[in-house]
Amino acid sequence: MFKLIFQQTKKHPTLIPQFFFMVLGMGGATFYLMRLARGPHISWDRKNNPEPWNRLSPTYQYKLVAVNTDYKSLKKEGPDF
Amino acid sequence: MEKVASECPARRVTKLRATALRRAFGACVDRLAEKMADMTEKIQNYRTAPFDARFPNTNQTRNCYQNYLDYHRCNKALAAKGLDVSPCDWYQRVFKSLCPVGWVEKWNDQVENGTFAGRV
Repeated sequence: MFKLIFQQTKKHPTLIPQFFFMVLGMGGATFYLMRLARGPHISWDRKNNPEPWNRLSPTYQYKLVAVNTDYKSLKKEGPDF
Repeated sequence: MEKVASECPARRVTKLRATALRRAFGACVDRLAEKMADMTEKIQNYRTAPFDARFPNTNQTRNCYQNYLDYHRCNKALAAKGLDVSPCDWYQRVFKSLCPVGWVEKWNDQVENGTFAGRV
């Protein structure tokens, strides 16, 4: 498949931006999907790890980009039990 | 499941005299009492549910549900240990601020009937 891509690119070099943007787009989408799937807001294993969001510290940053939130000064609100 | 914080570590006390007990458990009991006092003060100064980093997005459904579960689990855990359950009121205030009244009533009915789906 890659040999075919290479041969076609040699014949039509205008295909290079096409491949570049396709790789960028699909790669970015897959990366973000994997990031969401591995995130702590999903409970994959209900028997051994039922609520993974409870196992993190209160200063854990969930979002990719957090502009206004001061994460360092957060603390656990409710009582321990 | 929240990690159960064992405030006062289990210690083998061979002598039951007051001095020995105070030496074994004194410091941690003072810490516990202080934490309870902080908690009652926090509940008295309560305005609304604070920002919870576990639920940073607009959809706060899970925040509501988690606090409801935590309230019942806290009651159960502290009652099993024989401690005062009033610190658990924090969770009740939070879910009462967040959850729609209909949901709370429905869940309360389910808990009474024993048909509640969550682990409480």
